[in-house]
This record gives sequence, structure tokens and C-alpha cells, in this order.
Amino acid sequence: MQKGSTQKSFLKNPYLQYIFFGIIISLLPVLVNAGILKTSWVGIIGGTIIYAIAALGLNLLLGYSGLISLGTAGFMGLGAYISAYLTGDLGLPWEVGILAAIIIPVIFGLLIGLASLRMEGLYLGIVTLCVSEVLRKTFDELEPITGGFSGKGAEYPTLLGNIVLNQKQTYVLLVVALVLLMMLTHNLTNGQLGRALHAMRGSQVAAQAMGVSLLKYRLIAFSLATAYASLAGALYVHFIKFVYPSTWTLPVSLTILAIIVVGGMRSLYGTFLGAVIVYALPDLLLKRIPVIGDINGLSYVFSGVLIIVVILFYPGGVINIFRDIKKLFVKGSKKEGEV
Amino acid sequence: MAEYTTKLAEDEVLRLENLSIQFGGLKAVDDLSFSIKEKEIFGLIGPNGAGKTTAFNCITQFYKPSSGAVYFRNKDGQVENLVGQPVHSIIRKGLVRTFQNVELVGELSIIDNVLIGGHIDFKASGFEQALRLPRARREEKLMREKAEDVLRFMGIAELKDALVAGQPYGIRKKVEMARTLMCNPKLIILDEPAAGLNDVETQQLADNIYQVREKYGCTILLVEHDMRLVMSICDRICAISFGKFLACGTPSEIQGNAQVQEAYLGEKEE
Repeated sequence: MQKGSTQKSFLKNPYLQYIFFGIIISLLPVLVNAGILKTSWVGIIGGTIIYAIAALGLNLLLGYSGLISLGTAGFMGLGAYISAYLTGDLGLPWEVGILAAIIIPVIFGLLIGLASLRMEGLYLGIVTLCVSEVLRKTFDELEPITGGFSGKGAEYPTLLGNIVLNQKQTYVLLVVALVLLMMLTHNLTNGQLGRALHAMRGSQVAAQAMGVSLLKYRLIAFSLATAYASLAGALYVHFIKFVYPSTWTLPVSLTILAIIVVGGMRSLYGTFLGAVIVYALPDLLLKRIPVIGDINGLSYVFSGVLIIVVILFYPGGVINIFRDIKKLFVKGSKKEGEV
Repeated sequence: MAEYTTKLAEDEVLRLENLSIQFGGLKAVDDLSFSIKEKEIFGLIGPNGAGKTTAFNCITQFYKPSSGAVYFRNKDGQVENLVGQPVHSIIRKGLVRTFQNVELVGELSIIDNVLIGGHIDFKASGFEQALRLPRARREEKLMREKAEDVLRFMGIAELKDALVAGQPYGIRKKVEMARTLMCNPKLIILDEPAAGLNDVETQQLADNIYQVREKYGCTILLVEHDMRLVMSICDRICAISFGKFLACGTPSEIQGNAQVQEAYLGEKEE
């Protein structure tokens, strides 16, 4: 009895669940090595993890704080270019590149946070979109640093100066980053800071009456979202090993928006599930379908249809399916018990 | 930083002095003055559109008054003028309010909503919270226990993990009241606490207000339409009409006041 209950609480510990989740998705390279899955899976699921990281940040902003941003792509690109430039051209260690790739974009994020005090909803969306486009144009034009239209290359990460990773090891590094960020996000959202963000979304007047400074918490929300996005970008450039300016356009921001709407607002696992559905499924399944699979931009059609379907029938996000299935089972077993 | 004054008498906690606010040509609150004593239950009444809620918002700095002063004796016993101070700093002085339309976060559980009321008492930084460092963990635990105490006091402890969305109006009103109690307030301002409640719930509310004053030792200012409630629980009442002061006194004085009767029922025809 005693043993059973400790086992149960062990399984219920959210941190262990995150680690367990991480171990499962980091098994992918093993499956690839064993020949069960194709090599291309590593790239696709790795990309999914990168999108999920950026989406976690947008979830903090949109899901928790109720602030919209269409600038995720610009900040991902900014993070990618900064890290590529620092590690490639300047030869700085990978760790320094990542750190700078987070700090510099966060300064931009703070400025948008300041602007957000004077704007709401749609207007904020437009302004963030403009910032993103300005950044993309800068990537085009700032050739000495970004390599212009022809793009810029980068290497797989070298940890601590001498551990050179290959693609599959970099993939595991992505998983580690995702799991750590899920834990951090879990802590933040379940404490005072997360409740302040909730309060801000629920009612700005009530939040202020409870002592929540709108200025402070909007800045926090924007800098967190920017930090997540730019980290995702920096991880991207060291995983894909190349970055083009044309990558960081509105569709990327919209894909990340679709991820949290489809997966589930304010749900960490939902964010990952959303990334799998919106980002990985089109690559893994749709493109394999003959004729239809050859249509250009099919994945956008797919995520568009998905958003409509989810908003109509499952407004809480796909992640709630698991909860509802569980409910069904609990109800079913109760009924059996009664009979 | 706030300047301290000695504008309040020993037993006073709040005093409005010639408070006015103008929206375009409309004087919503016009030269209003009254004061509230410590541990008093004080009612602010007036016909629709009299400027009660506006007066409220001027006290809590949601609106910036055009002229006049709001003196408040804060938690440390110092007297300061609230006019011009940021909205989110008002609660730190010991002044907290509820809302006419119950402003809670529906997607959060009841206890989490109550914990929002404890926002200012958390000292751990965001960094400490992100890494769950000892101080953040300790604070969270202490505040959670406090929130449970408050919910037990309000009689809704068994609902603490239920989501606010879907709760009946009476429960949500209680949650909002519980949220105000988290910050150890000196003065609670209730904006139409009985609106939308049935007779039984209104009676419970009256009991609750008394209990809050006894247990937490705070002063209560309420704006209310329900005359039965106001007349039965208030120590003193201030009546206003068209933003102007009409009368201030005990419930029976107010009931007998000719000006108040006129404002509510219209002029006598001769």
C-alpha cells in the first residue's frame, strides 16, 4: 500500500514527467540507427522541437498575458544570425553565441513591451509584424554580417570548447533545451509571476488593483517571449547549419501562432503536440500523398483548416482530447461500479 | 516618494477633501468631502448616475481627480495623499477594492485567484521563482496556507481547486472578497457587493462583512443600491446626488433627511 502510493506520487511529479517525456523523444536517433525510421525524421522532429520552443514563448505572451505578437519570426532570425556571426566570423565559443543571441533580441523585446502599453490587440499585432519585417529586410541588406540573399552557414555546436557534436547529438541537445524550458515555464507559470500574467489577461483593472504593475509585467512577458524565440533561432542555425533571410517571414510567425491555438493555450505538452501536428505532420504524411502532396504551400492550407476545425470543435486545443478520453474512462468505470 | 501629512484626525482612516472630477463639461463628482473613521462600516449611496462609482475610482486612482485630495492613513500609520499615485501602488498602502462586475480569472482555480490578491507580499524574484529556489518555495507554501485560511473563513474552502469559470455568481463574489483579504487591508472598498444576489445571499453577505471587520480589523466602505442592506449594516452613510454631497449621518438620520428623500423620490408637489 505504502509502496503503491509513493509510486503514484513519483509518477505525478511534473518534473519527472518532463524528464521522462524528454527521454522518450530523445530515443528517436536510436530508432533511426536501428533502421526503423528514416534519417529525415531527425531533421523534422528537431525542427518541431525548435518550433515548440518558440511557441512556448508565444504561449507565455498570448496564452498567459493575452498580448499578441506576429514578430516571432524576426526574433528567431535575429537569434540565428547573431549566433552564426559570433561563432563563425568571430570564432567565439558556442555558449557565448547563444547567450548573446538571447540578450540582444531581448533588448528589442523590451522596447516592444514599452510600446505595448499604448496599444492593444490588432494594433500590437501590426507593430510586431512591422518590427519582424524590418529585421528581415536588415538580414537582406547587412551583407557583411548576414551574407545577404545567399545566406549564412554555421556549424554544429562545440560544447565547452572541445566536444564537437554531430546531427544526432545536436538533436539530443535540442531535447535537453526543450525539457529545461518546459520546467522553467512550469515554475514561472505556477508562481506569483504566472498569476500576475493571468491577472493581466483576465482584467487589467483588477490586476492593477491587486498591485500588478502593467508596465513591469508587460515588459517581462515580451522579454520572455523574445528570449524563447531567439534561443529557438540560435538553436535552429546550429542544427540546420544554414540560414536565409527569406526563412523569417510572416508564415513562420503564423505557424507558431497556429501551434499554440491547435495544441492548446497555456498547456506545455499542448504546445509540443501542436508543433508536431502543425509542423511535422505535413512533412511526414501530407507530402507523401501522391498528386496532392506536390501542391506548393500545402502545409499552410493544412494548418489553416486545422485552426478552423479546432476553434469550432475543440476551442481548448487538441491536448484536451486526452483529458476528455480520461474522463470518459472514469465515467465508464463508475457506471460499471454502480451496476 | 509620498509626502506625509497630519490632515487626519486620530480616529480617521480616509478623508476626501473637495474632490472633483470633470469629464468634458460634466462634473461627475463635484466638491465632495467626507471622512471615514477606523473600523467603521461606511455606506456611499445615491440615485443612479450620482457619481458613486466615479468617486470610488477617484479614491483608488483609476481616475485622476481634477482637484481635491484623498488622505489615507496607510498600514504604517502614516497619512498620505493618494491623488497622483500609481494605481498599482494603492494596495500596498492597505487599500483594496472589489468590482461591480466581479473581475476574476475564469481559467484559474479559486485558490489561484485568491493568491493573486497576495501578489504584493511575494518577495522572491522571477529568477528565484523560475528555478524554484528555497525562498520562492517557502513563500508559495506560506501564501497558499494563508489563502486556504481565508477561503475557510469565507466558507468555500472545499471548492478551492475548482475553476472560477462556471461558478455561480454568489460564489464568485465570495472569491473576490477573499482575494481582498489576502493583503491584510486597512480599508476595503466594496463596489455594489449585493448586486445580483438573492435575499439569502444578501443576508450572508451582511454577516460576512461584519465578520471581516471583526476578524481582520479593517474599515469597510461600500457603494450599494440595496437600501435594506445599507440601512441595516452601515454605521454611517453619505448620500450624494449629481456628484454633490447631500448629507452624511447615521442610517436613521439619512432616512429622515428631506434632501435625500427628494433626490430619490422627486420634489413634493404642493
